[in-house]
Amino acid sequence: MEYTRQEMMAIATGREFKDGELAIFGVGLSMLAGFFAQRNHAPNLMAFTEGGVYGSTPIGGLPWGIEDNRISANAVSFTGAIDALGFLVASGRVDNAVIGAAEVDKFGNVNTTGIWAPGTEPWRVGKYTLPRVRLNGSGGANEIAVGAKKYLLMVTHEKKRFSEKVAYISSPGYLDGGNAREKYGFPGGGPSAMITTLGILRPDPVTKEFILTGYYPFASIEEIKENTGWDLKVAPDVQVIPEPTAQELENLRAVDVTGSLRKK
Amino acid sequence: MNKSKLITMKEAVDKYTYDGMYFAHGGALPVGSDCISFFREMVKAGRKDIDIASNCNTQGTNLLAAVGGLKRMEVGFSGLEVYGFANGLKRAVESGQTILEDYSNGSMPIRMMAGALNWPFVPMFMNTGCDQQWASADDPENYPNTKKIPEITDPFTGKVCGAFTPIKPDVAAIHVTMADIYGNAIMLGTEWCRYELSRCSKKVILCADKIVDTGVMKQFPNLVRIPYVVVDAVVYAPYGVWPACSTGLYDSDEEHMFYMNKMLKTEEGTQEYLQAFGQYDDVWDYVDMIGKERIDKISATETAFLMDPYRQWIKTDAEIKELLERR
Repeated sequence: MEYTRQEMMAIATGREFKDGELAIFGVGLSMLAGFFAQRNHAPNLMAFTEGGVYGSTPIGGLPWGIEDNRISANAVSFTGAIDALGFLVASGRVDNAVIGAAEVDKFGNVNTTGIWAPGTEPWRVGKYTLPRVRLNGSGGANEIAVGAKKYLLMVTHEKKRFSEKVAYISSPGYLDGGNAREKYGFPGGGPSAMITTLGILRPDPVTKEFILTGYYPFASIEEIKENTGWDLKVAPDVQVIPEPTAQELENLRAVDVTGSLRKK
Repeated sequence: MNKSKLITMKEAVDKYTYDGMYFAHGGALPVGSDCISFFREMVKAGRKDIDIASNCNTQGTNLLAAVGGLKRMEVGFSGLEVYGFANGLKRAVESGQTILEDYSNGSMPIRMMAGALNWPFVPMFMNTGCDQQWASADDPENYPNTKKIPEITDPFTGKVCGAFTPIKPDVAAIHVTMADIYGNAIMLGTEWCRYELSRCSKKVILCADKIVDTGVMKQFPNLVRIPYVVVDAVVYAPYGVWPACSTGLYDSDEEHMFYMNKMLKTEEGTQEYLQAFGQYDDVWDYVDMIGKERIDKISATETAFLMDPYRQWIKTDAEIKELLERR
């Protein structure tokens, strides 16, 4: 069966959502993963956007944004940011969520703010310097990172994106690992998995370092280690993740009507 | 409530905006519901050194940054979502022209709420334990920063959280779907931070896609989240969110969103863009500039049915011209 790596990543992400969960999907491909889950196996998944658009499903293709008319045409409630991101997300109520990331590190910290030349990262030089490339900032991902009971990181698996330590923490994962999150009042549990274009990494329960727990049929442990910027540990029971079923692909493509995930 | 606050876009920018002001805009969402045509008018007027509290970047802040008018910005999200990076803003930040202070999409509206409540500060755990707290573009030498979001102790539990400054802009321009001439407004789609913004700003200008009769407010008073008492001026701004979307009225103009952002990538492109899309006189001229073909295309929105309950109260262009002349 033909499918792209992006489609495999979206389906693997979607499989992490359980029926009946209260969920918030980000913008772009992560939104497709969420709505795929709702269509495929979690019809009672309760989804909303960070602007407080409730009960809707996208029509006419991938929404251009979380406030786009493509996600506002069949909603049952419109509220605002403090309601959705504050009352439901940062407060600790939301069960599951997805965050996209430009860069992640071995403790699941996320950088979506900028790219610094190696050696000039703020934490390394002890001052804030301008990034070489300015990215988009955290958006609502910071609220998800501190508040969601658990959440998924969806990342293209490339060495430059998988760092020992991110240049800038836009959204906190497990910080320096272990119980480092406990110092802060974060009600959320931290990231439960990194779903990548090659496989799945999950945090060690004690150290919180992400280790390889599964890889896709078209990938290999060696390829994944080569594309990871830290010395990636492999779980003793690492598994090959089942490829998409015909039904999963059909449901994903019904959501991804404009083919955003089919571009290679 | 019997005094009309309806003025033209040019009058609003002349009267309420000035160089160096602390400005805010809303919804401040990259793809929808911001007062983009108000930004175009500020650019026409040559406003500069603007300090902005912006929940998210939009094509409005992207344009203001591209022409060099944006001195500083506090922001939760600086891109254009699926439309990509905001090239004008990105260029201004990377060159050091615009100081960009990072927050998140949840902390910005809560800071506005704190401003509305006139609180001295507001405690949150968002943006703490990470570089939004530790790195400050305003105070770059102090890392980890202790002034931007000072760490405080919850007096009840002993846990750590962050203290945030409230946002109280000098002026806010807020897009609304419809408003009457007195400043009562109804928004369709996500309200985002507009409710809080209308309460925390010293001056509030509404940019309304439709001017409506007050009868609609009396029919649906629960929907009037911005009442006349907090509003200083009402501007008729049809297609004012273009090329982004206004729920119930028009979709985002995909071609123009990409085109505009591509042009803002360079100074030359920005000038070329303004030659083509910054040379109109008034609102009627602005609508002609967008053109019937584009307007027909974006108006074929799947959300159009949301406007059905309100149509009988919408004022025609002729009625609005008369209301403006009668002042």
